Amino acid sequence: MTDPLTEDVVAGTMSTFGTVEHVRKNRFRITTTPDQIRDAVKTVHAALSCDRLVTISTADTRQAFELHYHFTGQHRTLVTVTIAIPRDAPELPTMSDLLLPAGIYERQIHDLFGIVFTGHPDLARILLNEDWPENEHPLRKDWKPDGKTFYGGTPPEGR
Amino acid sequence: MTGTSHNWSQRLVNWARMKSPWITIFNSGGCNACDIEILACLIPRFDIERFGILAKGSPRHADILIVTGPATLKQATRLRRVWEQMPEPKYVIAMGACGAGGGVFHGLYHVSESVDAIIPVDVFVAGCPPRPDEVINAVVTCLGLLAEDIAHGGKGWRQKKVVEHPDTMPHGEVQV
Repeated sequence: MTDPLTEDVVAGTMSTFGTVEHVRKNRFRITTTPDQIRDAVKTVHAALSCDRLVTISTADTRQAFELHYHFTGQHRTLVTVTIAIPRDAPELPTMSDLLLPAGIYERQIHDLFGIVFTGHPDLARILLNEDWPENEHPLRKDWKPDGKTFYGGTPPEGR
Repeated sequence: MTGTSHNWSQRLVNWARMKSPWITIFNSGGCNACDIEILACLIPRFDIERFGILAKGSPRHADILIVTGPATLKQATRLRRVWEQMPEPKYVIAMGACGAGGGVFHGLYHVSESVDAIIPVDVFVAGCPPRPDEVINAVVTCLGLLAEDIAHGGKGWRQKKVVEHPDTMPHGEVQV
């Protein structure tokens, strides 16, 4: 399947999960809910033959965290599955058992936004420095560094 | 040489150091523009090897450490470790605007104030990125410092006295 996906194909397959928008030529966006995200990703993977996860991007809109799962495949059409999760309880089932590279993106999102991916085998720190304090997520919009907290780096000694 | 109290072997070592400083390059989180300028020093147009300046792969072999880029908090520990591995006398060149004060990365959550907050820096090179001839000039400035340090018998003569200000601690942290 090397022809670009058409709106009929995408809408016919994905309309059970939520609204399907034809954003641009070769670009679709499917807005779904966190409960259905695993099924939606499975369907995108199998029925639309999107076998490649481009990236998972996250946005803090101050009301919610938006997660965008960008997929593509041999047909070179970009299909984005979008969900919004509440800011006060940011929890989401992991995608790392379905798509292996998603685990790395989820570790980064956990670092920078503090979103917990339940079922992830090892949500260890990956981007921030090892001595970064716990429960500080620098890409959240309401995060501000205060002068008192030590954010890591070697303290200067023996100069 | 300026030092008269050294024995002949020490004078020989000092002479060799002045004639051929060995440099090592450490990127502490920069955008690689400074690294490309250092590479330009090595190619035939500038060719710093004709001055005896050799780029070495290991900090254990080097006299001068060139730090490119801002010191990110993650690289701070590594940068400190690389600096500690260098044998004395060692000199540090912080390259570019980032090394001096963070540059365009100043104030970001993962960037320390400057390279000087982690390791003592002897020469700052201005520019974003600095030109290769300015890098060569910085190395030559380090050699001038080396000559003066030999004459003074150590680096202590040019260290600033730490002034204990009641409101601030030495590295910009606000005292509670």
